[in-house]
Amino acid sequence: MQEAIVRTEPAVRKSESRLSKRLVRNKWLYLMVLPGLMYFIVFKYIPMYGLLISFQDYKPFKGIAGSEWVGLEHFRRLFAEPDFLNILLNTIILFGLNLLFFFPIPIILSLMLNEVRISFVKRFFQTLIYLPHFMSWVIIVSISYVMLTMDGGIINELIAGLGFEKINFLLSPEWFRPTYILQVIWREAGWGTIIYLAAIASIDPQLYEAARMDGAGRLRQIWHITLPAIRSVIIVLLILKIGDVLELGFEHVYLLLNSMNRDVAEIIDTYVYTAGLQQMKFSYSTAIGFFKSLVGLVLVVLANRLAKKMGEEGVY
Amino acid sequence: MQRKYSVLLSAALVSGLLAGCSGKDEKEQASPSAQSGGSPSASEASPAPSQKKPTEITIMLPLNIAETPPDTIKNEVEKLTNTKLTYQFFPADTYEEKLNSALATGSLPQVTYLKNQATFIQMKSAFRDGQFWEIGPYMSEFPNLSKLKPQILDNTKVDGKLYSLYIGRPLARQGLIYRKDWADKLNLEPPKTVDEVVAMAKAFTEQDPDGDGKPNTIGLADRNDLVYGAFKTIASWLGTPNNWGEKDGRLQPDFTFPQYVAAMDVMKAIRDAKAMNQDFAATSKTDQVNLFTSGKAGLYIGSMQDIDSLNKDLIKNVPTAVVDTQALIQGPNGQATTWAIPGYNNVVLFPKSAVKDEAELKKVLAFFDQMMTPQIANLMFWGIEGKHYTVVDGKAKVADDKDLVEREVKGYKDSVIGEPETNGMYESYNTLEGRIHAEEFTVENEKIAIHDPTAALDSPTYTEKGQELQTLITDATYQYIYGKIDKAGFDKAIEQWKSRGGDKIIEEFNAAYKK
Repeated sequence: MQEAIVRTEPAVRKSESRLSKRLVRNKWLYLMVLPGLMYFIVFKYIPMYGLLISFQDYKPFKGIAGSEWVGLEHFRRLFAEPDFLNILLNTIILFGLNLLFFFPIPIILSLMLNEVRISFVKRFFQTLIYLPHFMSWVIIVSISYVMLTMDGGIINELIAGLGFEKINFLLSPEWFRPTYILQVIWREAGWGTIIYLAAIASIDPQLYEAARMDGAGRLRQIWHITLPAIRSVIIVLLILKIGDVLELGFEHVYLLLNSMNRDVAEIIDTYVYTAGLQQMKFSYSTAIGFFKSLVGLVLVVLANRLAKKMGEEGVY
Repeated sequence: MQRKYSVLLSAALVSGLLAGCSGKDEKEQASPSAQSGGSPSASEASPAPSQKKPTEITIMLPLNIAETPPDTIKNEVEKLTNTKLTYQFFPADTYEEKLNSALATGSLPQVTYLKNQATFIQMKSAFRDGQFWEIGPYMSEFPNLSKLKPQILDNTKVDGKLYSLYIGRPLARQGLIYRKDWADKLNLEPPKTVDEVVAMAKAFTEQDPDGDGKPNTIGLADRNDLVYGAFKTIASWLGTPNNWGEKDGRLQPDFTFPQYVAAMDVMKAIRDAKAMNQDFAATSKTDQVNLFTSGKAGLYIGSMQDIDSLNKDLIKNVPTAVVDTQALIQGPNGQATTWAIPGYNNVVLFPKSAVKDEAELKKVLAFFDQMMTPQIANLMFWGIEGKHYTVVDGKAKVADDKDLVEREVKGYKDSVIGEPETNGMYESYNTLEGRIHAEEFTVENEKIAIHDPTAALDSPTYTEKGQELQTLITDATYQYIYGKIDKAGFDKAIEQWKSRGGDKIIEEFNAAYKK
């Protein structure tokens, strides 16, 4: 026993000295990391202390130190909520649709932009499709309202003009999800192309030249060179996107939500707002937010494992 | 050498600034005395307090305009009340967050305004924890504060104790705003019953009131708000209780009454006849107002005071338009009723963390006591006479430069406690005929108003999840109006409401009601 300890000691000392040697040697590099590290500690880790209130009956004027501890009470209430399953399901369905219909669009768009040969035209369209990203959801939803309303909205007028029955886009549960996805595409598709275009720009042009020599057409080049080259970027973005599983944009959904489509439109974020924050129930809101983050974390870990199994790099 | 110059230069600059300041001060001091020469009460009040050291008061309040107002009004108030005021304005949109964080960190100032009735209800637990001064026992020491209406003070009590002073609003401003030119064209009398309102909405839709030969008009413009939109007002015309009513000797929520269902049927009838905007459940107030001011819709049910702004924008689009107000609408039994708010739209509180002792509290209350005099109330509500308003027929007529008035006065206007009857300030002078009618109707409304019996009562379960449960009923109400559920479906929603905590709310309110 004693022998073992004695034997391990030099090894420990050795690695210690190696670490300190490395620290000394790269001290400038570590110094440069410091501000970034501080940022994460101060703005991301220290605020996590606030998560404590999800286990308390938090009263703002008593503070975290003075509030009463209630254990898992808030989580129990959340899971016992009759609408909980429905809300969770709505959130997941909306996320699934988002992944299925929205995620591929920036990839396709950037491939198309990349094939535009005249650089002026390319830049023009690039800028044009970025623009909606800078509009707030309020504006996007208001524009949609004006177009979709049954009282003189242009789309319903068109439908009526063609002799069909007007469609109640704004209030019917069936139209909530399509409206949501189309609005996300409208606002974010162009913005999403930035990273892909950057990845495409870094592809060695010699590869294309070689392919052309072998007689590959445009589509072949895209399929065999461009797509494989940006595959790892796509996977990383996919994993990050999955991490945001429950971040569907509170503002956006809240603006679309109304009494007629609540069955499909109430998601975790909007529930936190109506059931928690509006009534100053900070603890309950925090508990729900905590639960949401846990789900996100589990999904990221799973997605990352899957990516690694498929021979990709993953995010960590 | 150079240094000497710069010192000299800065000294010259500072003295120049000082001179500039003092010059301005003199001018400002001169102006009120010149003005107050007209009214004897002003000259009486001003010299007396200048002997003592001014009371320093910090005030936090929401701001409903974009810019913080200049000190014009503040300086006048300080002089007249012998105070040194520090106003902390925060945008109304994010005021609740500011309030919460200030409460959490114990940094509320001596005088804290809330935002509206809803924030007041949310704050109730903070009162119970003893965060604020109970001012009830001191009220009798202040002759002007004791003029505040006891009924409204009761509505702002928590567990029978008074913690706040209220900013008063007329009890019952709800009514109908309609296109008089359209009604005249179609030979329609001002509606007197709910049926006539429905008939008018249909006529405005079907009989081409704007005379352009196209079916492009609707009757009612409504929005996604069952309370301040059309629904609650129509329901109250039909005799539905205001939030809670007595049935078989017990308090019951309004939606369990048959009149509530009748009101849903009226809304359904109007919508089914396409006599209102079909998307009203998703229509914002801006869009609702647009429907009216663009000349597409002819009826607006809500606060009758909105007629000023509706009219202003409507005549830009339709110069020939004439609008008028109507209230005292009768239900099927021939009786006219309408609902009333609890008489205040905001309250002001005195946190113990900032007001250290009784003596300081009395000094602060003394300031509010002075605010209840006509001189100060007019100054803060209407501005400086001659500059921001003029007195016509004993009423205040706002100056033509509306932007100036809004910038300099609006910030303080919303902080004046009491109402004209109690603080003696001028009523507003109106030129628009519909608005004059609205004021008359508001007085009449008060006589037939249905009050909320729970306004002064308290239910812990209601505070905890009343709002969340109300969503069930709100959704069901819309779904009934849109024909998605029937009476049985609505009853099911009520059952859900009851089983998820509603039963407890009923019990708690009834227990409090009996006391």
